Amino acid sequence: MKQYRFEDMAVGMTHRFTVQLDEERQQQFMRLTGDTNPLHEDDCFAKGRGFEGRVVYGMLASSYYSTLAGVFLPGENCLLNECKIVYTNPVYIGDELTVEGTVSDIRESTRRIRIAGKMTNQHGVVVNTAVITVSFTDRKVEE
Amino acid sequence: MSREEILERVNGVFREVFDDETVAVTYESTAADVEGWDSLRHITLIEAIEDEFDMRFKMNEVTGMKDVGEMIDIISSRI
Repeated sequence: MKQYRFEDMAVGMTHRFTVQLDEERQQQFMRLTGDTNPLHEDDCFAKGRGFEGRVVYGMLASSYYSTLAGVFLPGENCLLNECKIVYTNPVYIGDELTVEGTVSDIRESTRRIRIAGKMTNQHGVVVNTAVITVSFTDRKVEE
Repeated sequence: MSREEILERVNGVFREVFDDETVAVTYESTAADVEGWDSLRHITLIEAIEDEFDMRFKMNEVTGMKDVGEMIDIISSRI
């Protein structure tokens, strides 16, 4: 786990990792959230709605922005404040996503940074983008 | 830019951040006068004002402002 502090951050710092959205994760997410929408569970239903097959939960895919910020950028000192996500293309069971984040803005006044996030599938198609705002837990704002 | 013009633009930022078209702050307004103006909203507000006026506050200013008038004085000195 990374342990970047606010003072370590610089615009342009980037981290990326890959994750495979397999059947097990899809089932775990369904059990965890209770989202039983057939678009995620029923191949015939999904194909009938114009998709190639069952669609991976958007929030399952985008949950890896939590990993991006909380483990890597900045890592241990992270407190997630905001995450604005735009879903641009479907993710299917078995897709391998590259999760990438780049520090795009640093605010000295509030000790927060913004990270431009992007997830790309194995075909190079962007499946979602995000603007992630995080603060740091290693030092409280002075009273 | 006059203090009145800055106040008008600051009010626009408040309305956007609080998602409330009825919000109208004055020079004397404090966090106690605006419903929902808590510490996290304050941080969002500060960053939105920085964006609006293309300026930056100092960290001690963020926690030290006693009212909107003081905020406007700081903005006025930076633009």
